[in-house]
Amino acid sequence: MILLQQIINGLMLGGLYALVAVSFTFVIGMLNFLNFSIPGIFMLGGMLSWALMVQYALPWYAAVPLALLAGILASLLVERFTYRYMRTRFGDATEHAIPLVSSIGFLILFQGLVQIRWGADLHNFPSPWENTSLRIGGLLISVPQVISLALALTLVFGLTVLLRSTSLGRSLRAVAESPDTAQLLGIDLPRLIPAVFVVAGLLSALAGVLFALNYLQVSPVMGDEISSFAMAAMVVGGLGSVWGAIAGGLLLGLLEVLTIFFLGAKVIKPVVWGALFLLILLRPQGLFGKPSVGRGKF
Amino acid sequence: MLLEVEDLHVRYGRTHAVAGATLSVAEGEIVAVLGANGAGKSSLLKAILGTVKPAGGRIRFAGAEITQAPVPQRIRDGLVLVPEGRRILVSMTIEENLLLGAGLRRDRATLPREMDAIYDRFSNLAARRDMPAAVLSGGEQQMLAIGRAMLAKPRLMMLDEPSLGLSPLLVDRVFSLLRELNGGGMAVLLVEQNTRKTLELAARGSVLELGRMVMAGSAASLLADEGLQRAYLGAG
Repeated sequence: MILLQQIINGLMLGGLYALVAVSFTFVIGMLNFLNFSIPGIFMLGGMLSWALMVQYALPWYAAVPLALLAGILASLLVERFTYRYMRTRFGDATEHAIPLVSSIGFLILFQGLVQIRWGADLHNFPSPWENTSLRIGGLLISVPQVISLALALTLVFGLTVLLRSTSLGRSLRAVAESPDTAQLLGIDLPRLIPAVFVVAGLLSALAGVLFALNYLQVSPVMGDEISSFAMAAMVVGGLGSVWGAIAGGLLLGLLEVLTIFFLGAKVIKPVVWGALFLLILLRPQGLFGKPSVGRGKF
Repeated sequence: MLLEVEDLHVRYGRTHAVAGATLSVAEGEIVAVLGANGAGKSSLLKAILGTVKPAGGRIRFAGAEITQAPVPQRIRDGLVLVPEGRRILVSMTIEENLLLGAGLRRDRATLPREMDAIYDRFSNLAARRDMPAAVLSGGEQQMLAIGRAMLAKPRLMMLDEPSLGLSPLLVDRVFSLLRELNGGGMAVLLVEQNTRKTLELAARGSVLELGRMVMAGSAASLLADEGLQRAYLGAG
């Protein structure tokens, strides 16, 4: 029973990783851009929901949508000054690692601004409900984690359908393979590319809100650790594969929780990064990734 | 005139890729642009399509100034490019590649019939329509690139070195296809290094050298020109 509880906990934690991992992998798959501002947008989702509820006394149903909107706007800001800036000025956005570095700049900027306004401390996140856990049989199930898992699966399913069988999805995949060719075919990059950042911003900010609901704590650096695990999840699943990111997130969540259960919390990082190292040695393209065909500039 | 290009300039930093190109294509006409590698031919076509912003000059298409118009608008107006190296999307299926060509069309009623016509014409594509385009040979990819452009319903098709890397037999096939499409009323602006064949197809032509238009005239007069023969036709 305890083991089953641990597996459930692992899958739930994995759902959070998966949501962030999908944001990373979607931007990489579409634009070949490792967007390091994602942990910052995750943090904005959590911190702004907290600030709007606690500092500005808004109800949660107003605070959360506003925080998500702020996350989307922040993501569009990153698009404007990293990806689009490089593309319009130098013709190629990802040939050089410059957008990657500027996106780290945005991460630091977002964290710095939040720190200036609300300090560097941990804040208690008010739970909108008395009890956020559900008891089924002897098992404790956290509602925010169930929601994050269900949302991750639903959103990724929607994303897959969108990419496979709509005209918008066709255009996006054309951009993913070659932005230059897409442009020759009349695909309007300046209108299409922000859509990728809207999706990534929404997913990351949503993950931040769900993280806050789940752990009832927020801080300006809340996105850092989960994002390093989410990036590992993305690599496990294969860069650019949204289903891979889901599988990688769940696997990593399970691995983390079971490691704590069997070996103790001290060895989580050696085990997780060791497993990642082994996987990269044995299957560098990840579980669901395709071996790179001349793309992949990282 | 369907297309009029006047004193067009394209610069990349310090490189002056196109330095004052002037040309025109009439409705239903085939016009050639000749020149060696690096003469600025591709830049000229990209500027006409709009993926490269010209540093100076004017472009008019179908009676309207389009020098600053966005690419999708130009394609909707009936301008299309078959790019150098075909630029097929190899991770997408053959059918999806064709559909991308029709992506900007408003009148989609006849689209299924036109798709069928393209499959009838290129049976190699029809048999593998749901496979990734990576399975196609170079010649088949060129047919797919032209088919994709046809589905945009162009009034003017620009082609950038369509014969590059193809066997003589396939080159003949591409050129006879262009002649046939032209017979249906579509104008063609053809950029080629295959000078003799191109001038046999085209009505008029011009020669680009280091971004400058050094010669222009009827195809017959270009074919007869001694300087051109020495430079591009290998005749001595």
